[in-house]
Parts: sequence; C-alpha cells; structure tokens
Amino acid sequence: MRDIPAFKIIKKPELQGSSLLMGWNEDAGNLGTGVLNYLIRRLGAEEFGEFEPVDFFPLGGVAVEDDVAQFPESKFFYCSNRNLVLLRSNAPRSEWHKFLNLVLDVAEFYCYVTEVYTIGGMVSLSAHTTPRELFAISNSPRMKRVLNQYDLSREMDYETPLGQRPTLSSFLLWVAQKRSIPAASLWVPIPFYLLPTEDPAACRKVIEFFDKRFGLGIELSDLDEAVKRQNEKIARVRFNFPEVDAYIRNLESNLSLSQEESEKLAREIQEYLKRID
Amino acid sequence: MGIRLYKEPELENPVLVASWPGIGNIGIIAVDTFRAIVEAEEFGEIEPWDFFYPKRVVIKNGELRDLEFPISKFYFKRTSVKDLLFFIGEEQPADGGRAYAEGRKAYQMANLVLDVALKFGCQRVYTSGAAVAPIHHTMKPKVWAVPNTKRLIPELKKYENTILMSDIEGRGGQGNITGLNGLLLGVARKRGIDAVCMMGEIPVYLQGLPIPYPKASRAVLEVLSTALGIKIGLQQLDSFIERSEKEIERLYEKFPPEIKDQLDKLSHIAYTHPAEPGPITEEDKKKILEDIDKFFKRESKED
Repeated sequence: MRDIPAFKIIKKPELQGSSLLMGWNEDAGNLGTGVLNYLIRRLGAEEFGEFEPVDFFPLGGVAVEDDVAQFPESKFFYCSNRNLVLLRSNAPRSEWHKFLNLVLDVAEFYCYVTEVYTIGGMVSLSAHTTPRELFAISNSPRMKRVLNQYDLSREMDYETPLGQRPTLSSFLLWVAQKRSIPAASLWVPIPFYLLPTEDPAACRKVIEFFDKRFGLGIELSDLDEAVKRQNEKIARVRFNFPEVDAYIRNLESNLSLSQEESEKLAREIQEYLKRID
Repeated sequence: MGIRLYKEPELENPVLVASWPGIGNIGIIAVDTFRAIVEAEEFGEIEPWDFFYPKRVVIKNGELRDLEFPISKFYFKRTSVKDLLFFIGEEQPADGGRAYAEGRKAYQMANLVLDVALKFGCQRVYTSGAAVAPIHHTMKPKVWAVPNTKRLIPELKKYENTILMSDIEGRGGQGNITGLNGLLLGVARKRGIDAVCMMGEIPVYLQGLPIPYPKASRAVLEVLSTALGIKIGLQQLDSFIERSEKEIERLYEKFPPEIKDQLDKLSHIAYTHPAEPGPITEEDKKKILEDIDKFFKRESKED
C-alpha cells in the first residue's frame, strides 16, 4: 500500500534559530507567490519537503487556469546561509487548524524556527502610481518590538466585517500565538485592476523589508526594472484608451469610480497586459 | 491496496494513455478503441477491493462462486513509432454513489497509475474526457486540450480541430476537469510528468442522457493519432457512430418543436473566438443558450 504521510521530507535542512517566510498562491496580485519565487531564485533556496495535498484539498479533478491544469502545492525551501525557511503553498480548503499546526510543526522540529512572517496582498482602490505601503500585524509585543525598528505601518485597527471571515494569515498568527511563536503578517495594498496579474511594486516593497530585516544584500535593480516595465505598459493603455486614462486620473485625484467603471478599467488593463505579455 | 503486474515488458519511454468513464463515455470509448485497434496486451491491474464496491455476485446451488469488481487494468504495445501503455478504469473510485472520484481514494488511484507509468520510464500522459459545449449533434465535435504545463501549449496549438480553454469565449482560459481524467493531470504535474487531457465535445443537451457519444471519441482519436504520430484506423468506430446518431435522432424527434427550433440554431453559433459574424447575433445566442438551459433544468426537475 502506498503511504501518504502529511509531510514528505526530501532532506533535513541544517538551520538554527531560523525565520519562516510564507506566502499563499492565488494571492491578490500574486504577491505571496511573487515574493517567494523571487527569494527562492535570488537566494538559491533548496526544496526540502512538501505536504501531501490529500487531507487539505478536495481533489475531485483539476482547475484550469490560463489554459493549464493546476494542482495544489505546499512546498518548503531553505537557505542555510541566510537561516531562512520559505513556504509556498495553496491555501487549504479544509482542516485549516491541522494544516497551520503542521506548518509550525515542520518549522519548529525540522528548522528550529523562532519567528514567522506571512505575505499577503489586499485590495486597494488607489491608482498604481500611488507609492506602495507595507502594513504589519504582529501576534505579540515581542514581535511588535522587532517590527518597530522598520518603516512599516503597524497601528492598524480592523474587525472582520459581518458576513466575512478572517484571512488564513490571521488564523496562522493566532495558532503561532498559542504556541508562543512570534509571528507577523505583512500586507501590501494592491490596486484593484492589478489583482489577477502581478504587482512588481508591491513585490519590491516586501522584498525591501526582508532585505533589511535579514541583511540579505539583494540588489533590487531587477525589481525596479520590472516596476518600470509595467508602468510603461499601463501608460501605453492610457495613451491608446482615453477612457482608461480618465478612470486612472480620477483615482489619482482620489475620486472614486462606479462599479461599472471599475470593472471596465480592470478588464481593459487585464486584456491589454495579457495581450502584450 | 496495490498493483499486480503479471509481466514486466521492456518498453522505451512509453506514452501512457489513460481513461475512466465520464459524460457520454467519450474518453473511455476513445482509449479502449485505441487499445483494441493496436491490440495492446494486458499486463497488470490495480487490486479493486479497497477502491470499489463489488458489481456482481455469482451464486450457484446456494454457494457463492464469484464476486466481481470493476476492473482497472494496464496494457502495453510496442510500435515502430512509439511504445504505448494504456490504463482503463471501468469505474471511478467514488463514495456515496457519486459518478466522479474525489478525495483520498482518487488521489491514491492516480498515484498508483503513475507509479506504473514511471516504472516503465513514461514521461508523457494523455487522458481523455468530455467537454460540454453549445453545439448541435450534427456538427463535428472539436477537441479541447488542457496541458499540465505551459510548455506544451505551442505543440497543442498545431493540432487540427483542437482548441484551448482561452479559445472559448468568456472563459478567460479557465475551467475545471472533474474526476480522475482531470486529477491525473494534476498528480502528474506534481510528479514532474507532462500530461494533456483531450476532451471531445458533446452537445449541451445530450450531457445528461445515458447514451454514449462516439463521434466525439473519434475526434479525440484523430488528434491523438497526430500527437503520437501513430496511424489509427478508425473505421471500426463508424458503425458505432452510425448507431448512436440514429438513437440521438430518435430522441431528438421527441423534443417539443419549440425546443427543437432553438436547438437547431446551435448549428449557427460560434462560441470560440474570434467569432465570425454569422446569422445569429450575440443577443440571440445568449437567449438560445438561456432557453436551452431553462428547458433542461425543468426537465431534470420533472424526472
């Protein structure tokens, strides 16, 4: 019989007092995946294990996105010279508490993790020309003291609106708190018309923070170039479609758009970016 | 719960062609026909008792003689062009009377199939199923192709009569493939094996009927034949197609005239883009599809 352990380890990482950075696939602006993929590539992080999906995802077939069949993943990477653990994962569809505890089990038992960061994008009604801001929510005074050393927005007040549910990152912070593991969730507002695509400016904001926090010494010019490229593409849309330009100008002047206008702006930008990519 | 191999054939980088039953049995007919045409040899099976409830008991003189389970068998064929592995599952392992597999058992079965494929050095998998589409049964079905890696898209675009999800209006390249014909693609992706699901189109109004749709299986086999570079003589499917067409026409004649009028218009609808301007406007098209949808919802409630 084929055994399906929850965690399949490829090799045991050599780490001590490390930090776990995690991001969710299908995040707003693909921020979590974008940041994780960038760090994995730039730091040469090595995969060391993964969760089997069967306990956490329905597996009644496959979803198709951009013509390609997808499959849920929860992969762990490590970078021993930076003492970092990276987890790139789809958000589980069930058994959330078990999943989050398993993440922390792997983090503690295999990697001796002492702090955890999650990365997430949130919807913003601002224009893409507005500078990105990094918000942080901590799960303990100790973590808050760590974050105080950096230029972050930390004093957020928020309660889940009626009819909505807390994010999985908030759930993780709570589970980590119960286990006395300092943790923080990092959030960057993403312009709503960039949600299904990528927001390199948001990605840069998070990488910049990790670079400072862990002394990674990453040269960010490639991200600057990616931000410039995307801005140029959107500038071309604005030039070719006066209506789109008018909508974005409204947002830049802090004027809101109707739902119809917002949908049209998002659609035009998406279609154009897809066409020229 | 395991695999029983009766022999271990020597194969060179074989391609696996696998299918389980689904709508119109399009995939399973295509794969089983292919298997029969090339006269592939059975060489193993997945032991069924942990996956399936028995399908038949044989009792003689008050004594139980046999208990039969749905079969899940492997076949192989060496050809001068490419070595082939086939997997044919008679049923999908599903709980609670559902037609499609999901959960732990489905995942285990997909992994067992790929264990065998990898054991023989397979690096490419094809599955097949049905694509429910707003087409008329007199039209030639297209084949929707979904790969499990972007890398395969240029190859798929070269095949005749084949479309990608992004060619379908309003889908934005997205969709779902239910059951094991889809899940196998995902599990293959996880295990680093290239895979493609080829789905033959079935008219939207035939999807709920318990009749096979071999015309779509033929379309799938035509594409598979090109993809594999193996000539497949499909004449033996033609008499099956003829019988099925007659059966469909007989049922079609029983539809109320006003519904038939609407369904007839499907012959003129282009749902892939770029849509050519035709005799049906976008508004007409929307209305026809809504009417058909309403009719079949009403019918299924009345059943």
